[in-house]
Amino acid sequence: MTKHWKLKEIVLMSILGVVFGIIYLAFFLVGQGIRNVLAPFGLAPFGYEIIFGIWFIVSIVAAYIIRKPGVAFTAELIAGVTEVLLGTAAGPGLIIAAAIQGLGAEFAFAITKWKDYRLRILILSGVFAAVFSFTWNLFSSGNIALAPALLIAMLAVRIISGALLAGVLGKWLSDKLAKTGVLRGYALGKEIQKKREKDAA
Amino acid sequence: MISSINPTIKAFAILIPGILLSFTFDVFTPLVYFLFILIVTFTMSDIPFIKWLKIFSPFLLVALSFAWMTILYTNQTFSYGEVLFTLFGIEITRGSMITGISLALRSLCFVCLSILFALTTNSTKFMLSLMQQCKVSPKITYGILAGYRFLPMFRDELQILRQAHRIRGFGRTKGIKGKWQQFRRYSIPLLANGIRKAERVAIAMESKGFTGDTDRTYYHEMNVSPKDWIFFFLIVGAFFIILAFSYYLGYLNIFGKQF
Repeated sequence: MTKHWKLKEIVLMSILGVVFGIIYLAFFLVGQGIRNVLAPFGLAPFGYEIIFGIWFIVSIVAAYIIRKPGVAFTAELIAGVTEVLLGTAAGPGLIIAAAIQGLGAEFAFAITKWKDYRLRILILSGVFAAVFSFTWNLFSSGNIALAPALLIAMLAVRIISGALLAGVLGKWLSDKLAKTGVLRGYALGKEIQKKREKDAA
Repeated sequence: MISSINPTIKAFAILIPGILLSFTFDVFTPLVYFLFILIVTFTMSDIPFIKWLKIFSPFLLVALSFAWMTILYTNQTFSYGEVLFTLFGIEITRGSMITGISLALRSLCFVCLSILFALTTNSTKFMLSLMQQCKVSPKITYGILAGYRFLPMFRDELQILRQAHRIRGFGRTKGIKGKWQQFRRYSIPLLANGIRKAERVAIAMESKGFTGDTDRTYYHEMNVSPKDWIFFFLIVGAFFIILAFSYYLGYLNIFGKQF
């Protein structure tokens, strides 16, 4: 797998991983804030679910830019490692959680044999990441002890969050980045370049 | 001292009980293990107590709120036993109480283990050890280290961006819409600069002869000594001993099944 990656793609992946690792850490606080707001209404379990999609975004951004097998998985893993290196309280277990989310995101691209990077696949990737991570949380945070009705509601919110915050926002962010021209050396930048030439011709 | 333990071994020593703990739903097992980790933290590492408390205390609150939520919303498998009291029409049983407290204690165990890991591990050594002990590709580990090195630079860059915006009359904005615009103004340039740097670093690494070949020598050799294995078996072994005790005393509960 790593043989097909160029060094600059790996460094890009880790830069994205590091940047989003910080954002991920910051969003723990955001989640806690939303949770505190929702708690009086008895909706505390949804505090994190609403923004859960943000924790998948690096998979979608990296895969959409680099477009090679394994990128979605590895980028998420790097973000997880960064969080651990920076000292998150979730600990090394977070690396496993990140790996599972990454696998979920990668799964959507694997179905299309890493050829299709349209918005719908990116959204699908966010959805799979949500489903995978939800299954993991059933065990890791003991969610399995919760009432089924609540679990289904939580899953639904997480899937929507994954689709929007990871899929749609991820694509928007990458497209904006590509516009600046810094991605000229990567698959997404090349595609945009081609399109521009075609339009000009 | 824990800070001299091989980081990879340390990570696994913390990971394995962390995962196995996810299967227990009684109070006894996580409580005893939590006490054990506390003892390890304050006898085998030189983490100052005040510093530890500062990091730990917010999570006490998180754990409490999590416990409370679980107590309110437990499903049938876990709400066994007699009803203790009713709250807003929800019957709180002995089982849901135990499950809630158990989950809170479990998350405190995770927090404690993580603090122990994070405060005693050098990130560069962790990466070097992953590369040498776990055979992770040097391309990836050095790539991550290079990316990790950019962290302090992002702070400087954000400062520069902020000043550049202010000098051109783009001040702070108010409200959610303003926040969103601010996010757009800062995130794209920051990321774009980061990507430029990534490309430059990659080219520099390659031009200096970095091929990412696994057959290479290391300036810092990371070794695994018997001391590392003693630590590993201490942390993991203690968990199994506590598990056995819990079984012997009849407390052990795995996924709602009493043993």
